[in-house]
Amino acid sequence: MNIISRNIFKNRNIILLIVFFIIFIFFSFFTNDFFTYYNIVNLTKYGVEIGLLALAETLIIISGNGGIDLSIGSILSLSAMTIGVLSSKMGLNILISALIGIAVATLAGSFNGFLVSLIKIPPLLVTLSTMYIYDSLALLISMDKYGNAMPISTFPNSYFFVGQYEIFNIPIQLLIIFIPVVIILHLLLSKTVYGKQLYAIGSNDKVARFSGLPNNKVRILSYTIGGLLAGLAALTMTSRIGSARPDLGANLNLRAITIAVLGGTNIVGGEGTIIGTVIAILLITVLNNGLQLSGVNPIWQDGILGMILIASAIVNFVMYKKLNYSN
Amino acid sequence: MLKIKRLIKSREIIIFFTIIILSFFISLYANSFLHIDNIKNIFMQVASIAISAIGMTMIIITGGIDVSAGSIFGITALTMAKLSTSGVNPILSLFTGAIVGTLLGFLNGILISKIKLAPIIVTLGTMSIWRTMIYVISGGRWVLGIPSKALYFGAGSIGKLPFPIFLMIILIIFFSYFMYKRPFARYIYAYGNNPEFLRISGINTSNVLLFVYTLAGLMYAISSFIVVGRTAIVQANIGTGYELQVIAAVVLGGTSVTGGKGTIIGSFLGATMIAIISNGLVLLNVPALLENLILGVLILISVIADILTNRGEIQ
Amino acid sequence: MKNIEKSYGGVRALKGVDFDLKKGECHALVGENGAGKSTLIKCLTGATKLDSGNIKLEGKEIILNSPKDSLERGIAAVYQEPMIYPQLSVVENLFLGKEIKKSNGSIDWKSQKKKARELLLKVGIKENILDFPIGELSTAFQQLVLIAKALLFTAKVLILDEPTAILTEQETARLFEIIHSLKKEGIGIIYISHRLEELEKIADRITILRDGESKGTFLLNEITRDQIIELMAGKHLIEKKRKEKNVGNTILEIKNFTKKRIYEDISFELKEGEILGFYGLVGAGRSELMQTIFGIIRPDEGELVFQNESINIRSPQQAIKLGIAYLPEDRASQGLFLNFSIIDNIRISILDRFRKKLGFLDEEESIKLANNYLKLLEIKAPSIFTKVKNLSGGNQQKVLISKWLAVTPKVLILDEPTRGVDVAVKSEIHDLIFNLSAEGLPIIVISSELPEILKLSDRIIVMHEGQMTGIFQEKEDLTETNLIKASIGEISLAVR
Repeated sequence: MNIISRNIFKNRNIILLIVFFIIFIFFSFFTNDFFTYYNIVNLTKYGVEIGLLALAETLIIISGNGGIDLSIGSILSLSAMTIGVLSSKMGLNILISALIGIAVATLAGSFNGFLVSLIKIPPLLVTLSTMYIYDSLALLISMDKYGNAMPISTFPNSYFFVGQYEIFNIPIQLLIIFIPVVIILHLLLSKTVYGKQLYAIGSNDKVARFSGLPNNKVRILSYTIGGLLAGLAALTMTSRIGSARPDLGANLNLRAITIAVLGGTNIVGGEGTIIGTVIAILLITVLNNGLQLSGVNPIWQDGILGMILIASAIVNFVMYKKLNYSN
Repeated sequence: MLKIKRLIKSREIIIFFTIIILSFFISLYANSFLHIDNIKNIFMQVASIAISAIGMTMIIITGGIDVSAGSIFGITALTMAKLSTSGVNPILSLFTGAIVGTLLGFLNGILISKIKLAPIIVTLGTMSIWRTMIYVISGGRWVLGIPSKALYFGAGSIGKLPFPIFLMIILIIFFSYFMYKRPFARYIYAYGNNPEFLRISGINTSNVLLFVYTLAGLMYAISSFIVVGRTAIVQANIGTGYELQVIAAVVLGGTSVTGGKGTIIGSFLGATMIAIISNGLVLLNVPALLENLILGVLILISVIADILTNRGEIQ
Repeated sequence: MKNIEKSYGGVRALKGVDFDLKKGECHALVGENGAGKSTLIKCLTGATKLDSGNIKLEGKEIILNSPKDSLERGIAAVYQEPMIYPQLSVVENLFLGKEIKKSNGSIDWKSQKKKARELLLKVGIKENILDFPIGELSTAFQQLVLIAKALLFTAKVLILDEPTAILTEQETARLFEIIHSLKKEGIGIIYISHRLEELEKIADRITILRDGESKGTFLLNEITRDQIIELMAGKHLIEKKRKEKNVGNTILEIKNFTKKRIYEDISFELKEGEILGFYGLVGAGRSELMQTIFGIIRPDEGELVFQNESINIRSPQQAIKLGIAYLPEDRASQGLFLNFSIIDNIRISILDRFRKKLGFLDEEESIKLANNYLKLLEIKAPSIFTKVKNLSGGNQQKVLISKWLAVTPKVLILDEPTRGVDVAVKSEIHDLIFNLSAEGLPIIVISSELPEILKLSDRIIVMHEGQMTGIFQEKEDLTETNLIKASIGEISLAVR
């Protein structure tokens, strides 16, 4: 019994998957409208967006040295507004606007990475500050000449393709954005040179240095990729809801971090997987959706997330101790 | 002589002069800035941040952080308001609110000191949990009609001196004394410098951590009473973003984020600077959103300056 | 202290040592690295528990469970690495944990400052540094403050571990005066040092440890320096030297490397096919020197010439590309990723070699490589996917060596290659080093173990407090006595 439980224990992903299925089945039976085609499609669309952010956090937290990004939601807001403002206020081609929006997000991520790696400011502080800076910038560019924040709702019809089109009843963003991203990131982390280096610097920055690894480059890249993913999420989100508002990313930070931690990403760095995060994405998305449909006030979402975050952290800690002291 | 040189270089003096210079410039463009009423206004704002900053300063000295400040702030305000508007004795309501704040701080402290979770994770989690509770309890509606006795913290005065300012002065003096004179406070600083060494010396380090987070909870509660006392309402989103202002005040005031040093007075000056900037922005008709932008940039500059000068010193 | 025994995981650090200290005496404790001095002191300060034996203080037996225990009983130690709170002031550091309080429990700063001034005067500090953050003072001052702190806590036993290593002559003289006055007050001082000339001035008796045993306690005026050195060195069996090697051209040349307070004016050459040993005491600057060559530390001055080209090495990445490999002395914190598998550790520095298209890793090739090393070095592990933290010390070290061999270095620097390794593996590693050298690989070995360094090296450079104090290459000069003398500064540079 002990051996079995230890093995299962070690495979956290399986437990998460089981919990996910339990939650899914529970809601399917007990909540109206949950197990409908319409709902599943919708929650998938939403899941893609938050999922991209969670994947960003996963990469950043793995990079270690206190790695975390509290500004990921703000980067999304900024990127979204950029796309909106460029295309509707300045009349730029939507494709170019989208590309610039993603570029802005990527740059924002790089800036975080730069401050963390080269100036050696604790990531917590950097991203706490940039969170407010990027939020303000998003608000700034959304303002009209009277100083009011104006959401953008005038997008060309072609833009809605990414967020709203479905092929064989499957949301397109799942197919052309989320799944490719997951595959790429998974391969990146588990099968490439970069992935090995990322886990190394997250595990032990000093040993990595003594081993000749380019710590700074690896770390900056992780924050940059994070920004890029936030940009993709911005694109997907604005395309889905058809508008860009400067507070789009406002509450998403907590959710993204919770998902990453739930998925097994250890806050001290060096540990975490894409697959784990993906399962956590499924779990949280379904949980959110199910609760909402059950009539639970959306306000509870954050509170429940908070509890899940702390609970996951405790579980991580306990498992870590068990695994390290069983020798 | 050396002492004077050190004094000049000290962070507190730098901020002090920055405040003077800032005020000078603002008053050039906005006549009403130096008005006694405006100054009183500024310090009323400073009061709530500075009091919360007392707790946050100690937390950051130990190398931790508390982003749940705003949520604890909100929930204590709500508790006090709900109780007092339901007929409970206003003094008792205030007292209960204070207990709630202390308990929530204590909870953070337990998770951090005994279960050894990372402060950012714990406080991110509790921030959302209490934020939810605020919405649930308030039902999304404002709480109005709070009895004036319960508003004393914000509206009352001792003679000509508004109570918040009076309270702030008392608390700052008391805690500055505490930080300077009590052995336990030394351990807070020591923990930030070298937690291992402190532990080896036989001192219970988890009690140190527990203390700072618990105290902070109480401070947030007091601050919330001041703000509610001034506005006479409790909105549903009360306290959101509050933690940024408190952290900014502490960081600007010279408390090092890597831990180990910082002063209450410094945080007070930091809070003053922030309040002046905030006030100045309003007077100069600058859109409110820029305030967060400026705060964020200020924190960054302050931290960068800290790190660059620290590196020079350790060599 | 009677019959003290202490083992660390099968290695007997202390094999039944007797040691006693009289009131008001200064008792010197000397011995080579690994002789057991620090372990003995750790037992006395409560940092370690003895396996057997007992400690009596003023006639009564005491059990020490923690550093706090021994502090309370009046046993205090001041180490080479100052244990301070850098951003707190001197007076704060002095009184932390032992504050002078007023009746209401608050700190009595006035009395503390007064007492602090007294204590500092006792250790010869007249300057007013009470409010300075201690991290800003020189290490010498920090040490004096720590001695003052020890005085605050203790009235009985003061342990000084290499106190003069970082002091100037003036400061040393001041320290001796302090020691004299402390002796008069009846405080017993245990003085650990290698500076024999100092001991003659300050110590009353001397105990020599070697290999975990006490080789005797003598009155200082009854024993000569040479006798002391001989007792420290002993007569180890040196294995027969291999036959003469063909030493090739100079591949690496260091010219006048200087780094303030770490090492000074170091110059030497490394030739192909030779094993160059670096001997010295802990803190002599050897590791720092090698880390400078490896790109981790930047020198203040000096030139590095590698393969006839003058190069500025700025990072380990660059060093590895050039072909310089450095195996660090602390494998847990500098050498290995304990949570990673064997294969991940072995290939981490050479990932680029296995880079396929798009940055992918050629798992197959690297698995082959790792398995080869597993076989070659006879690493005892279930597979290359075993986590390194589950291996024994010896096997961990072998993984570390594999990692650096995999880099296919042109120069291999080994910093304490057999530290924490059992005897069997030690000998395997020695054989490996010989084989590599026979193939022409120039190797630098840093070791603090006399027999090892003498066995392995063709030439030996000795460092003492940052300076080169000896280069020995002729057979006759490669003796333990010479090495020890050079390592403690008894002789300075004598190149033959």
